[in-house]
Amino acid sequence: MKHVTLILSWFIAVSILAQERIILLNEGLWQADNGRMTYFEGGAIVSNQWFRDKNGFKLGDTPNDIIQVNENLIAIAINWSNVVQFIRPDGKAVAATEDVPNNRKLCTDGKYVYVTSYGHECETINGTQFFEKGFVAKIDISNFKVIATCEVGYEPEGIALYDGYLFVANTGGYAFEENHEYETTVSIMNSETMKVENTIDVEQINLYGKLSQSGQYLCINSPGDYYGIPAACIIFDCEKALQGDDDCFVKLDYASTYSCTAQDGRFMAIGSRFSYITNEYEFNYVTIDPKEVMVSLGGSGIEEQFPGTVLDDIKNMMMPYGLYVNPYSGYIYATDAGSFEGAGYLYQWSPEGKFIGKHKVYINPAHFLALPPEGYWDGINPSLPSSPRGEKNPTYDMMGRKTDSSFKTQNSKLIIVDGKKILYNK
Amino acid sequence: MHCGLNTIKNYYLRAILAIVLAFVVKTNANAQNPDNRKDSVKQMNEVMVTYKRPVKTIATSQTLSGADLQALSTTSVADALKYFSGVQIKDYGGLGGLKTVNVRSLGAQHVGVYVDGIRITNAQNGTVDLGKFSLSSMESVSLYNANKLDYCQSASEYASGATIYLQTRRPTRDSLAVQLRNASFSTWMTKLNGQFDWRGWQGFIDGEYCTSRGDYPFRYHSEYEDTVGRRANSDIQYGRIEAALFKGGFSSHIYYYDSDRGCPGGIVRRLSDKYTNVGREWDRDFFVQASYQGRFYKKLLFKTNTKYTNEYLRYCTDYPENQNTARVDNHYRQQDIYGAICVAYMPWSWLSVSTSYDIRYSILRADLKRFDDVKRVDQKQVLAAQMNHKGIQAAASLLHQRYNDFTFAHVGAADPLDRWTPAVSLAYTLYNITLRGWYKEIFRAPTLNDLYYTQVGNRNLKPEYTKQWNLGVEYHLDNSKFKIQNSKLALDIQCDVYLNKIENRIVCLPLKGTYTWSMMNYGYTFCRGLNATVKGHYTRGPWSASLLTTLTWQRDLDRTNPEDEDMYDKPICYSPTLSTGITAIIGWRALQFTTSYLYVGERMWSKADPEDILEPYHNVDMKLSYTHPVGKTSLGLCLEVCDVLDIQYEHIPRYPMPGRNYKLTLSFGI
Repeated sequence: MKHVTLILSWFIAVSILAQERIILLNEGLWQADNGRMTYFEGGAIVSNQWFRDKNGFKLGDTPNDIIQVNENLIAIAINWSNVVQFIRPDGKAVAATEDVPNNRKLCTDGKYVYVTSYGHECETINGTQFFEKGFVAKIDISNFKVIATCEVGYEPEGIALYDGYLFVANTGGYAFEENHEYETTVSIMNSETMKVENTIDVEQINLYGKLSQSGQYLCINSPGDYYGIPAACIIFDCEKALQGDDDCFVKLDYASTYSCTAQDGRFMAIGSRFSYITNEYEFNYVTIDPKEVMVSLGGSGIEEQFPGTVLDDIKNMMMPYGLYVNPYSGYIYATDAGSFEGAGYLYQWSPEGKFIGKHKVYINPAHFLALPPEGYWDGINPSLPSSPRGEKNPTYDMMGRKTDSSFKTQNSKLIIVDGKKILYNK
Repeated sequence: MHCGLNTIKNYYLRAILAIVLAFVVKTNANAQNPDNRKDSVKQMNEVMVTYKRPVKTIATSQTLSGADLQALSTTSVADALKYFSGVQIKDYGGLGGLKTVNVRSLGAQHVGVYVDGIRITNAQNGTVDLGKFSLSSMESVSLYNANKLDYCQSASEYASGATIYLQTRRPTRDSLAVQLRNASFSTWMTKLNGQFDWRGWQGFIDGEYCTSRGDYPFRYHSEYEDTVGRRANSDIQYGRIEAALFKGGFSSHIYYYDSDRGCPGGIVRRLSDKYTNVGREWDRDFFVQASYQGRFYKKLLFKTNTKYTNEYLRYCTDYPENQNTARVDNHYRQQDIYGAICVAYMPWSWLSVSTSYDIRYSILRADLKRFDDVKRVDQKQVLAAQMNHKGIQAAASLLHQRYNDFTFAHVGAADPLDRWTPAVSLAYTLYNITLRGWYKEIFRAPTLNDLYYTQVGNRNLKPEYTKQWNLGVEYHLDNSKFKIQNSKLALDIQCDVYLNKIENRIVCLPLKGTYTWSMMNYGYTFCRGLNATVKGHYTRGPWSASLLTTLTWQRDLDRTNPEDEDMYDKPICYSPTLSTGITAIIGWRALQFTTSYLYVGERMWSKADPEDILEPYHNVDMKLSYTHPVGKTSLGLCLEVCDVLDIQYEHIPRYPMPGRNYKLTLSFGI
């Protein structure tokens, strides 16, 4: 009986592992044109040049973000190549555009891809548009053209979509060499009209780096100015911001350089606070419960702990470079960039934090995307709460577009409700 | 024209020179404008001071001089150095790209470059762009591993891991020469050289102007790529004018260089040529130097050097084609005043003891944010002794260096740096064979960029230390020993094995968990190698032949982190295991043909994947020149074909070098 249980549990473990499908972007070295895509499946690296294997050409220089747009489409921002690359989940390239130079981060509503850019011009269907500051471009995935743009702050970085609104973290990151100051704002724009409707000053400069989203909450990193202003992290409540509540953010004295959203909706973050004046680091590893942080104004909801051995293992890394939780399975991943000259490593842990394995990848492994387990696409944003803005069970079509309730009265369709695929029969 | 030129002609020539000199002086006066650089060097020409030179074979050195130097297919000093053993060139391609050299893998900042014994410095970044120095005014280019060993040397000559000496030519007659060159990629160059030798005074003026589009074609072809294009933003326009004046133990040199160039980036995946990451750079370098060397009471040698340098650099990226970086327009101004005094005492003809004191004051200004003027006082003292007795040669030196920085920059000044470093050499010569061994310890101080550059600098940096051990043998056969009828043979064979250790390498690395980069002390390199050279000259009647061959075998190992099994004890990037060069020069009367072949082995550029290598390459250059005398003037024609095999190689991944290219030069001299 004991043996049967053992074999059974082994089977279960294998079947869960087999569902682990991760695309990992290796940034490569700047101007060496060696950005690479790693594909990891079922506990093993399938390829460390997956894009090249599938397409016969190279990915480009410094890939910076990757998201899944819908069941059939993935978007990648390749920063130094000025390319937004679209691929199928099997790795096959379908389209690419260079209309958004110096692209940074991506988000999507399933029909459009929104890209932030540090650049100052953008090719759109209405001709070239020019910007003094940075901008957000809206790419229509039916033709991969930019259909609208909107100027935001200088050097906009992280972008998230919540209830039809885009939340853009402005960095002003070129302030150390350009003639402007660091930005301290989050721009809120209507994704449909592409107009900024509100700008929230979060009183902390340089909102740079990875932005994580957990439903209505955002975790925004600020490295400070690396001199007198220390790094911090902003927990931002999109819902409150939309309601016009001024108290829609809380500043925490932790850096969240590498952050992600865990399955339970909490944020996990690795960061360090650095100053060129002292040349000293101050490391932090935190798990943040955004709901509790908002209620307690940062008084509680913060734990300096990760599950299992994750924290100890990360502390032993030479140079942590990315952190991720598979939203479908809860498996935890982190990367070590090592010495930057050699290959980095991908670490994998079980949801409980039990170390599973370490895999050699390529230079500067940084950006993750988990593919849904085979045949299981459960919506655009698995961590989205089931009932945002009081609406009960919003529905999405297979392109990930939000549909109104009248949709349900139409003919039988495959729709997505509560992150689950449902065959809806009238 | 030779000394036989009549006096009237001489006067004309001098008048022309005087006008040009006056122009130079005027330019110099305008140089009060901080955009110009000024630098004054006093230098003494050792050729004029007659004392017994120490036996050269105690130092590991290589020299290219006179006809051999001019016979090589070279446009700048950097091109000539690739013919030396143990040298790696770092070249970003094209005419305008930065060219630096690395000797025995010590790193470019450990290579000191000296014009007539006075160091060219760049307190800002510590490297010298050798593309800025022309060979037309040089008598010789020499590379010394460790120290050149003269009786009377300034302390700064002991202060680098490897030294490159550029020796300017002292004219022995009056002459005037003009040159016009057309070369591939829309390159036009014109040169003017005037020289005089009058009542013990010698001098020259050398000017050059060059413009090049540099838009050479390139192709990347592999199983996953076929990229064809033309290099963009690789153009350069530069002008250089320099003059020198010598008399006896006095020598002086004035130099001005002005350039405007594009800084091309790496060839990366792009969907079109719409964006090119344009950056442009303007340089204005000025220096004036003077030196005097004399001998007193037979046993006392005395030398003094002074130099003033003024360097201006502007870097701009504010162009619509550049959407990828911050829009900057920065100006850097650097001034440097240098003085040195050295005294050598020779109680017996076989022994000398010397001491020298050098002081350099540098100031760097830049309109960077969070930056303030940085001033550096760099003082060096050396105590050295040399002996040469009955075939036994020995040299020892102890160098003391002290660096003090002053700045109001936000981060504050670095702590003063105060260090002693030794060097010893020993050699024994029997007949024509010399056995030698030496050890040298030296460091490079962090540069002002390393310490204070906005959002990169780290004022807590420690100096980067090098320790070098060398064992060598040299065989020298003189002309006089081998004379059959009209033929002459000279032969020089050298072979050195060496071991280097470099500690606390100063590198720029991203910081753990911050998204930012900073200068850090990281890295320990262990390097073993072998350098061998064979040089032969043979002349018979109107025929002459020279053969220069070099071989470098080197193994550089990363000994940084014993726990990092992917890196530890593995070869370091960019370092070839094997490289060789063969140059043959054949002359018949006024006709000369040179062909040179270089092989550089495979180099890794990352350790992440075995496919991240720079392919080995073979490079063949050919040069054919002919000079025809027409009365008292001469007319010359020269055709050069570089990279005859059209092998497109790289020194840096994704920075292609131009393939086959041609140069046609017409010259006229009186």
